Amino acid sequence: MLSDLYARRALIWAFANRDFATRYRSSVLGWAWSLLQPLATLLVFAVVFSVVFRIVPPPLGADPSRGSYAAFLFTGLVTWNLFNSLIVLSMSQLKSNGELLRKVQFPGWAPIFGASIVQLVQVLLELIVLILMFFWQRNVGWTWILAIPILVAMALFAQGIGLMLSILNARFGDVQYIVVVVLGALYFLTPVIYPMSMVEDTASNLVVFIQANPVAWFVQAMHDVMYSLQAPEWWVIPGLLLLGALTFIVGLAVFNRNSEDIGELL
Amino acid sequence: MTDIAVSLEHVGKRFIRHVDRRNSLKERIIRGRSRTSEDFWAVKDVSIEIPKGSVFGLIGHNGSGKSTLLKLMSGIYRPTEGKIHTDGRLAALIELGAGFHPDMTGLENIKLNGSILGLSRKEINDSTQAIIDFSGLREFINDPVKHYSSGMYVRLGFSVAVHMKPDILIVDEVLAVGDEEFQRRCEDHLYSLRRAGKTIIVVSHGMGQLESLCDEISWLEHGQVQETGPATKVIRSYLERVNNQESVRNAEISADRSEDEGSMRAGSGQIRTRSIALRNIENKPLDHAETGSTTRLAVTLNAKESILGPNVRLAIQHEGGALVTMLNNHRLGTDLGVVDGDFTVFVDLLNTPLLPGRYRIHIDVFDHTGAKLLDNWSDALEFPVRSQRGEIGQGFVELPAQFTLSTQQE
Repeated sequence: MLSDLYARRALIWAFANRDFATRYRSSVLGWAWSLLQPLATLLVFAVVFSVVFRIVPPPLGADPSRGSYAAFLFTGLVTWNLFNSLIVLSMSQLKSNGELLRKVQFPGWAPIFGASIVQLVQVLLELIVLILMFFWQRNVGWTWILAIPILVAMALFAQGIGLMLSILNARFGDVQYIVVVVLGALYFLTPVIYPMSMVEDTASNLVVFIQANPVAWFVQAMHDVMYSLQAPEWWVIPGLLLLGALTFIVGLAVFNRNSEDIGELL
Repeated sequence: MTDIAVSLEHVGKRFIRHVDRRNSLKERIIRGRSRTSEDFWAVKDVSIEIPKGSVFGLIGHNGSGKSTLLKLMSGIYRPTEGKIHTDGRLAALIELGAGFHPDMTGLENIKLNGSILGLSRKEINDSTQAIIDFSGLREFINDPVKHYSSGMYVRLGFSVAVHMKPDILIVDEVLAVGDEEFQRRCEDHLYSLRRAGKTIIVVSHGMGQLESLCDEISWLEHGQVQETGPATKVIRSYLERVNNQESVRNAEISADRSEDEGSMRAGSGQIRTRSIALRNIENKPLDHAETGSTTRLAVTLNAKESILGPNVRLAIQHEGGALVTMLNNHRLGTDLGVVDGDFTVFVDLLNTPLLPGRYRIHIDVFDHTGAKLLDNWSDALEFPVRSQRGEIGQGFVELPAQFTLSTQQE
């Protein structure tokens, strides 16, 4: 199953190249948008939540006397965006490539992975900005290296879900709307704009729900290694990797089982 | 290694046709699985063996299952029942340029389309030049394809597809693309693939083209094979059936036309052409002429005063615009004498030498000197010509000719 992906890597690259080439082609600022957009979100959120709602960030790992809400928020946003964008993009790929799938024989996951590769590059750019931000805050530590397995696990997890949803969405046109609503709710059940400590203080009965949300596990792990500069418990990262790998394998298997007649559905 | 490129054994493809398709989750949940679905067999029990190196054609009406069968062979659809076996790399020209992205340049699209069609990066790089040359779009290759004309678009698509070096090439109705010159290049390319021993499977409605290209043909009707065999034989029985059905349907609607008030007429008006009708030699109305059997054009005219020896000229024009011939009673030595009031002129096309296609008739009436125009009626009649023998070759007319064999040295 995975060797198929390797065998058709040229095809996946071709789709990735197409998406790279066309993503911002008709816009003046081009790829600058891929950073301007999250930075604008960051700015708005930072102002609204730290100034208006007065959310207090947890202490920075390098200097517990300080906290940076912007850095805390951006750590969570980058992780959340990876999850959110991979799912939303994957979900729409079968439909947007329907014309092609009806006329040429090729595996349906190829355009999905192609689109995801482009999105991963975007996440990488955001990550660079995040790292610059932490340098500016003089909050640097060896635990950063742990962000790599966490993000890999997050990407696999999101891709697995995205693969399954793409099949559902090809069959039922309203899946995409449901998913957008669910993701919206899930966003607020994930400690992106608020720190966990705040929920424990003010709304302790919500903690169970947040703890049950797998996305929150990834985001919290990212907060630990990037912001608080603490290594999580030894089993957290292997656990996340396992979860990601399993979700991906299951997602791909479900996709392959159900995508054989996909050309007729689109 | 076998000699069969594609073999189909009792292949069937069923589509579930939902009378109201529940593709919204809400409806699916509220009303459950659609119960009013009915099966529709687009292809049923088709067994065909296509030998390597042959050119195989599929004919049939629209909706007879030709395209479904091609999609089954190319793997886009899975058969509901039966087995399909293909031997060798297969390329399908189902729709040219289906994978083109409008915002990308021609060159970028060549690379993308190549990898979608299954070429490796090296193969793409090696054949890019050949593809650009074949398409004849060198000047425009770095422009986004959204600025291409539809002809340019299809030319690029065709060029990519034929350069995949397939062992089996599936061609669906795409040969009628581009200008005359490009079409000829496509046909030449198909012939060269054929000479190179590749297998070609082609769907077309151009019987002449199929007859000259194909070795064998299958005739599909309602998803089932009606007849498989040598091209000429199958085309003949197919056309026989089509012609019969059509004449039954059109029995009462014969091709004739009478003067309509609004039509632009020139000439002095001393004579007016009233109507023109297509008939057979027994004066029975016809809806089409048939190559090889005599067709009568009955032209009814009215002379306002008595006129000596009018000159009636019929121009026969092919739908493509070319003037096929001009018929002229004076030149044929027929004097109509003095005419007055209503009269009808029969113009018999002896053994109608016109080849299948649509033809238009324009009528001019001159006086006996041939210098004064009395009446002119453009586009007086348009009628089809069909042939029991299939579309033979190309052109408009069949010249009376004779082939003999001589083994003697001249």
